[in-house]
Amino acid sequence: MLNYEKIKNDFPLLNKQAQKKPIVYFDSACMSLKPKQVIEAMNEYYFYFPACSGRSSHRLGELVTKKIKEARQIVANFINADEQEVIFTRNTTEAVNLLANSLDLKNEDLVLTTDKEHNSNLIPWQMLIKKKGIRHEIVKSKNDGTFDFEKYKELVKTSRLVSMVHTSNLDGTTIPAKEIIKTAHENGVLVFLDAAQSAPHIKIDVKDLDVDFLAFSGHKMLGPTGTGVFYGKYNLLEKFEPFMVGGDTVEYSTYTDHKMLKAPEKFEAGLQDYAGIIGLGEAVNYLEAIGFDNIREQELELNRYITEEISKFPKIKIIGPTNPALRSGIISFYIDDMDMHQVALMLDEMSSVMIRSGQHCVHSWFNDKKIKNSARVSLYFYNTMEEAEEFISGLNKIIKIL
Amino acid sequence: MFCIIALIIFSILGIFSATHRELAKEALDCVFRRVTLRPCNTGFREKIKSRILVRLLSRSTFLARLFNRHFELLSWIFFILMIASTFWTVKGGYNYYLYGSCNGLNQNGFCAFDPKGENNKVTEINATCGAVEKKEKNVTLKDVDLSSFSTKNIGSKNTVVLIGCYECDYTRKAYADIQKLVREQKTNYIFAHYPAKENTNYLSGVGYCVYKEYGERFWQFNDYLFTVDKVSIYGKDYMERILNNFEFDVNKINECLNSTETTSVVENQLKQLQKTHLYGTPTVFINGKAFVGPKPYRVYRNEIKKFIIF
Repeated sequence: MLNYEKIKNDFPLLNKQAQKKPIVYFDSACMSLKPKQVIEAMNEYYFYFPACSGRSSHRLGELVTKKIKEARQIVANFINADEQEVIFTRNTTEAVNLLANSLDLKNEDLVLTTDKEHNSNLIPWQMLIKKKGIRHEIVKSKNDGTFDFEKYKELVKTSRLVSMVHTSNLDGTTIPAKEIIKTAHENGVLVFLDAAQSAPHIKIDVKDLDVDFLAFSGHKMLGPTGTGVFYGKYNLLEKFEPFMVGGDTVEYSTYTDHKMLKAPEKFEAGLQDYAGIIGLGEAVNYLEAIGFDNIREQELELNRYITEEISKFPKIKIIGPTNPALRSGIISFYIDDMDMHQVALMLDEMSSVMIRSGQHCVHSWFNDKKIKNSARVSLYFYNTMEEAEEFISGLNKIIKIL
Repeated sequence: MFCIIALIIFSILGIFSATHRELAKEALDCVFRRVTLRPCNTGFREKIKSRILVRLLSRSTFLARLFNRHFELLSWIFFILMIASTFWTVKGGYNYYLYGSCNGLNQNGFCAFDPKGENNKVTEINATCGAVEKKEKNVTLKDVDLSSFSTKNIGSKNTVVLIGCYECDYTRKAYADIQKLVREQKTNYIFAHYPAKENTNYLSGVGYCVYKEYGERFWQFNDYLFTVDKVSIYGKDYMERILNNFEFDVNKINECLNSTETTSVVENQLKQLQKTHLYGTPTVFINGKAFVGPKPYRVYRNEIKKFIIF
């Protein structure tokens, strides 16, 4: 069971008001709120040991090195990986770019994605089409928004890499990752999972999934902005050529040569966001303490209520499966001929309900479906039923003026 | 259309509020994008529309629905109204500058710059049973013989005719400006006393006689009559004292006043003034164009300078 008194105390924003109404934050798929513990861990670094990690041998440097190592271990444990398989990045986008630029993809190599990829897992491959002549195929979803496994099985045979969004930020659907990976491996194909929307909401076990590469962002899972993680199987990472090199990536260098460090160091060029990494470790600790079962239970209850209420409005169309259990904490909806930015702005103005509107960096899907944009409610464990009711009440008023 | 309206409104409100100044900047960006043929995708339109909708929604769902459904149409209507009101405002300002009234020359409607209508006030004259209606457009010098009235600067390019009465406040107000105009612009100047109030009838004859007997010295005498305490000029005794002060021969003036010729001339002068169809004093004609009421000095000067667009 979630302790809301403690949660409210940990997230100061939940006690704030805007326009004399409590703030209802329903945009966690874009950016989650941060608990005090994360902020305090970061402040602690800046106040008491703002030194370099892995470089300076003085006691502050040693302390930072220790804290970063601890954070890496926490994150590795979080996804059941080995410590040296965890590379810190700025975000998921950087991780995908690292993969796209480090994997030795060649002319005619096929990269397979879903039709609901965030631009972060689409544009890097489109760039490689131009640069290296790789091919890119899309596994289109079925009419109900779920993954088309049959279509996938056909296409994966000739692929080199499957690069797919684990949980879609568009509609919240989660692909059957384990089966996808198993099938890919049977065909000798590598698999990357964009876990930006899944890692904050469901337990990820990279060993159980047997996934080759995986990435997620800190800012969507209570962590600081500018933090992300790229996971890769160590034997694969060893073969990678880092796409960004420099300070702290080499054992030594001469005027003409250098020797790279092993993973993960060789991928972490330059001075890292130590405060952010420490904060990310603290965020993972917080999430583990909350428990994914509790998170899932709360999100599902709220999603079920909102879906049920929204379904009463005939003009509103929900993107993705109608079953809320298949949509994580996301309810993405639109109204024909209506600019959903307006709905989002009115909810904010009227009820202090913050939701996202637009194409959610999945422009390709919207352009394909010829849908202007959508409004997206994205829930997290700190949201409550009262907040969901406030949202529905506001939406109800807006619907009346259409 | 919406961006342009928003820019103007928020720019005005921005003078007083920093919040609106920011909105004005957003509107300007939006207008700039539209002018440079780019889409205004800054979300500004939606933001403002939403704010208005929420406020309307708290009062009336019907109004909010109406606004939401016809937002574009309403934007156009407001745009057209804004253009029209801007045009009328500019025209009003132009008219006020040129004629002293927002509504045009000698027009009495409300004017924000002259809310009390001071520039159009006149001392109404006793109605005569004329066939012509008392209207500004009917006031004219056509077929009016002004040859018997006091005149100076004969032969000048421009002609100013002041028809007023000595004891009328509005004539007194205009008088100083007319003197200034005549002095600065060197115009031909004709002064005609119209006894709007009957107790100053005799002053027409006095004026005629002083001008006839003493010529240019009349103008000093005339200036005095427009500045002296009004009550003083009601009495004939006091008038004699004034004439003495100006070292005029009172007997000569009285002789002139009592002559049948003077009576005939003064009667004719009155007839001639009535032919102008004037309905109040002061009425000033500048090159034949009538200005009824005490206008600001610039109005008279502009007529001479011909600063007129429409």
